Amino acid sequence: MKRERTTQKVDIRRYTDDPDVMTFEPTISLDKVDELPNSSPLVNRYSQIGLKNNGEQVLLILPTQAEINSDLPWSETWQELKHLLKTKEQSWQEGTKVCLVAKDRLLDARQLQTIAETLDDVKLSLATVSTNRRQTAVAAATSGYSVQQNSAQPLVEEQADEEITPSTLAEPLYLQSTVRSGVEIRHPGTIVILGDLNPGGKAIAAGDILVWGRLRGIAHAGAQGNLQCRITALKMEFTQLRIADAVARPPKLRPKRLSPELAFVTPDGIRLTDTSEFAKNYVFSKSNKAWIGKNQAK
Amino acid sequence: MSRIIVVTSGKGGVGKTTTTSNLGAALAKHNRSVALVDADFGLRNLDLLLGLEERVVYTAIDVLAGECRLAQALVKDKRIKGLVLLPAAQNRNKESVQPEQMKKIATALAKGYDYILIDCPAGIELGFRNAISAAEEALIVTTPEVAAVRDADRVIGLLEAEGVNKISLIVNRVKPLMVEENKMMSVEDVLELLGVPLIGVVPDDEKVIVATNRGEPLVLGEYESVPAQAYSNIARRLEGEKVPFLDLMANQGNIFSRLRRMFGG
Repeated sequence: MKRERTTQKVDIRRYTDDPDVMTFEPTISLDKVDELPNSSPLVNRYSQIGLKNNGEQVLLILPTQAEINSDLPWSETWQELKHLLKTKEQSWQEGTKVCLVAKDRLLDARQLQTIAETLDDVKLSLATVSTNRRQTAVAAATSGYSVQQNSAQPLVEEQADEEITPSTLAEPLYLQSTVRSGVEIRHPGTIVILGDLNPGGKAIAAGDILVWGRLRGIAHAGAQGNLQCRITALKMEFTQLRIADAVARPPKLRPKRLSPELAFVTPDGIRLTDTSEFAKNYVFSKSNKAWIGKNQAK
Repeated sequence: MSRIIVVTSGKGGVGKTTTTSNLGAALAKHNRSVALVDADFGLRNLDLLLGLEERVVYTAIDVLAGECRLAQALVKDKRIKGLVLLPAAQNRNKESVQPEQMKKIATALAKGYDYILIDCPAGIELGFRNAISAAEEALIVTTPEVAAVRDADRVIGLLEAEGVNKISLIVNRVKPLMVEENKMMSVEDVLELLGVPLIGVVPDDEKVIVATNRGEPLVLGEYESVPAQAYSNIARRLEGEKVPFLDLMANQGNIFSRLRRMFGG
């Protein structure tokens, strides 16, 4: 019991260093504390289901088996897909064809059917399944979808390239709904939420986070270590803000602010300022690895 | 057109079952036929609150197993016409039923009743998914407490993901005096966070506990009480009537605080 307490202390200090705490089910392993932080490209930890417009068709990209760490149950993946389709901006035409990029994920006929039905609800139609698993290809062909097998196929390659170079951010993710308790939005780019981020809800972005509403949950910008990232909200009432490896809790007493505020990293940690005042007063200093006042910079 | 409504909350002990029994009785008073479905398998309470425990013969499990017809399992409330209960089994757990089976029962009941009210168990596991599988509408019950509101928020998110978009909110156990003294979340605070339309506010009242223990829904009681009034107002709003919300402060506090309120103090 005693040992546990001491390790937990260490754990809190290194909370954001340990990428494991950012995974889908944050289990803080006590044994792992003494290991060095995992330096593998963090983007994998944030990739969930991707939806991309690719000219004529929409690409629906499932995370690979490796990316989802453990065996994430199929129901969770499906829930996530439903949530994504409901909240993402509808930038497609009715009846647009969808190519499902399943990579190495095993999908049976029933799972393919649920995907097709879910897509059908938002007026998309599943047409093609791209996979490098034979079983998935067979299931897809049996269900009457055209199949693109093997990684020789350009779509998959293009995806693979993106993962190797995590420095390029993905397109911004635009959500038009309130993020409620228990929902975690992870995106390897900037997240824009047109709605509230409720307490118990979480947004983790490799880029910036913009909340066009109240930010009351947890927002983590620059999750791949970019200290230049910012978080802004019409009303800042957050539970916790994180930018790269910096963490901020709200002060006990805070005057009600009427104007939108913006959080950014200064040499003294995360600070808030009026969003409208930020651009003209602050500049990012590479040597300080933080935003500093423009007067100071001269 | 019958309506299938699930009464849910996420958190336990906020008053789902009390709400279900009172709303059922209030709707039956409005000459509607109402079937109450206890979806809390293994921890059934709805029959107790309705005072129908000793008349339960068959349960939903027996219906699903084909051991009796659906009509046989329904327990009629003798006090009021048009109110029936489909009891849950007490000797089984939530895993003994599947969402499709609940859907089958609810759709079968929908043929014969105007309202199907489903009393959802606490939590968001299989029992919850069973209860919401057939629902077209949802009533979220919450109390003005941080934990209850947080869970309600989660449940609303899950309901929306399942395509249940007609969601209304009941704020239960409000203590007007505490709200006034800023010691309790106000209904406005709750609404502002959850962002779903309000359908009723029920004050905290000892009479609710008395009625519960006696197995008699408050709305069927002899005496008029504020919570009973609040429940029948919710029933009327479900029916589409426009009913103003009760002024819970009306009988609270002393003459001075009342005067102060009158002058906007």
